[in-house]
Formats: sequence, structure tokens, C-alpha cells
Amino acid sequence: MRPMTTHAERRPHLLIVDDEEAVAYPLSQYFRARGCLVDMATEPEEAEALVSHRRYDLAILDVCLSSLRTTAGLDVLREIRRRSPGTAVIVLSGHVSAEVEREARSAGADRVLAKPMPLRELAAEVSALVGVAFG
Amino acid sequence: MLTPGALSVVFQPVFEAQSERRVHYLESLIRGPKGTSLEAPEILFEYARRKNATVAVDCACIQAILHASRELAEGSHIGINVHASTLAQDPELLNFIGDSAAGCGIEPSRLVVEIVEHAPPWDVEAFRNGVEGLRGIGARIALDDVGLGHSNFLMILECRPDYFKIDRHFVSGCHADFYRRAVLASVAELARPFGARVVAEGVEAREELEAVRGLGIGLVQGWLLGRPCEAKQIRERLSDGAAVAWGEA
Repeated sequence: MRPMTTHAERRPHLLIVDDEEAVAYPLSQYFRARGCLVDMATEPEEAEALVSHRRYDLAILDVCLSSLRTTAGLDVLREIRRRSPGTAVIVLSGHVSAEVEREARSAGADRVLAKPMPLRELAAEVSALVGVAFG
Repeated sequence: MLTPGALSVVFQPVFEAQSERRVHYLESLIRGPKGTSLEAPEILFEYARRKNATVAVDCACIQAILHASRELAEGSHIGINVHASTLAQDPELLNFIGDSAAGCGIEPSRLVVEIVEHAPPWDVEAFRNGVEGLRGIGARIALDDVGLGHSNFLMILECRPDYFKIDRHFVSGCHADFYRRAVLASVAELARPFGARVVAEGVEAREELEAVRGLGIGLVQGWLLGRPCEAKQIRERLSDGAAVAWGEA
């Protein structure tokens, strides 16, 4: 865990990836309202394009991003780990089975959390991982 | 993303290094859908590549650029970025460019096709045919990002470009860096037997401009002289004194 600063001192850069825009968009707005810079992606290819050009403090990834690639979120996680080992990653999934959790941990997830999750609790996890207090 | 109006276009002038106000051509630059993560062109094209949609995106960009170019002054020449892989993969591209240009009232001889490539391998023979086809309709060829990635000697041989565009990496800080100047000088020398002109990209400081001039590089592009802006603004600025030239030293 990093020492706390306030977002006035540093704006964390977040990546939020979820195939449901109805989930990703409000989440993005929530963290933007708390001073974060947020990029949002709804497809694995979009997320991978972003991580190949930008560095993030933290990524929030849904596991199931495609009906064809049901664990595409984990491929995005591996791409993040390959390009930016310092990025903290929270994996969110509607179905956190023991297998998903094991795979996500082994791919390098810092947290594996179940959806839906109260925003306050998610914000607390983000805050702890990026070392920024949202107030 | 490929719906009409989703892509927007800005233009950045390439200037004669000696006169600074004389525009040689206008490079078109694409922006993805506003307010999305694809707005940044490097993300847009990386996304397209990962979706195996580079040809479709290149074609949508060409159409958007030609459409936007209708607002430019009639004599102005327009730089269009096209991936080498698209030229190699799509035998219909030539007709597409010709037809789209005609539909917008633009002579193909006003086009400078800037070849970019980030993803080899591609079919060299098909690529060569594509380049020759572009020359056949009157377009000129620029090789973008010379010195970086796949814009190497092989590409120079296959393109035989009319313009060598040197990436900003070699231009930035060149006034204070002997080795950067050495690379710039070697590209200027290499371009000579091709009868090509050299464009220094990313000129942002007066000292850099003086340095590239001193090396005999004839064309410059960068924020020091002109930032990207929309066609309407370009037209206003050009009518405000900067002449459009073609083929003048």
C-alpha cells in the first residue's frame, strides 16, 4: 500500500474496462468526480490499445468482456502486466468462482472482487491501491 | 466509429524552411470520435489493428479527409496517411482514392500519400504495385517516420519517395546534439539521389529550425510554425498572407 496523498496533489490515472457501458460509464463518472483522470473501454481490443500507449495507476477490469472470449479481461490484465508492471489491477466479476479468482491472481490481479459492489467500498479499494484519499 | 461524421480532420502545414510562411502542403490528421478513448489517433489505429480493421479505418479516414479538404483553397496540396499494409492488402484502394477524390472535386495530383507502417510483414509486391498505382494517378509519395520502426531502407527502396519525413525524435534538440545532426545530415544526403525533398517533423524551437536549415533540409513541420487546425482556419490563415506553393525550392 502506498502512503496517502490527496488528489489535489496528484490525479490518479484510471482505466475502467467493462463491456456494459451502463456499468463502465457511471463508474468512470464517479471517479472523475473525485479528481481522477479516467479512460473507459468496452472492448478488450480498445483496452489493449489504451494500455499499449498509456500508463495507468490502476485498472478496474471486468473478466467477461466478450461473448466469444469469456475471460478476455484476463488477457487485458496480462497485457497490462507485460507493459506496465506498476499498474495496480482490480478484477471485478459477476461470477467470482475459485477458478476465476485463481486465474486472476496468477495473471497478476491485486484484488478480485464480486460485482455488484457498493461504490464507496470500491473507492476505498482504489484509494488504498493508488495511495490517494478521495475525501 | 466508421459512421459519417464520427471522424474529424485537422491539417498541419509543411512549410518551406527558408521562407517559413510558404506552405508546401497540408498534412491531414485524423481524430477519432470526440469524447471517447479512440479520439487520440494512436489509440484509434492501434484499436483498428487489433480488430483487424486497418483497411476499413484507413478508407474511412481517406473519405473524411477528402470531404474536409473541400474547404481548403483550390491550389492546396493535401497529405494523407495510409498504412503500407492497407496499400498491400486492398487492390481496390487506388480506385477508392480516385473515386473519392473525384467525388470531392479534388484532383489526385493534389495528394501526397504519406506511407506509414507499424505492423509488418506485408506483401512487398502488392505494396509496390499500390505505390506505382498512386504515382499513376498523379499522387506524390512521402515516407513517414523515416528512421523509426519499419520506415527503413527497404521501405525507401520500395517507395522511392518524393518526400522523406524525418521523425521528431531526431529533430527534437538537434541544435544541441551532434549525433542527431549527424543522422539528419545523412538522411538529407540519402534523399538527394532519389530527387526527394526532406521534411523535418516536430520543429518546436527556433534553434531547431536554424539547425535543420543549416543541414540543407528544405521543408519543416511543427508547432513553432503551425499547429494543426481545421480546414476553415487554414483557409483563413492562408488568405492572410501565406502563399501555397508547389514544387518550389
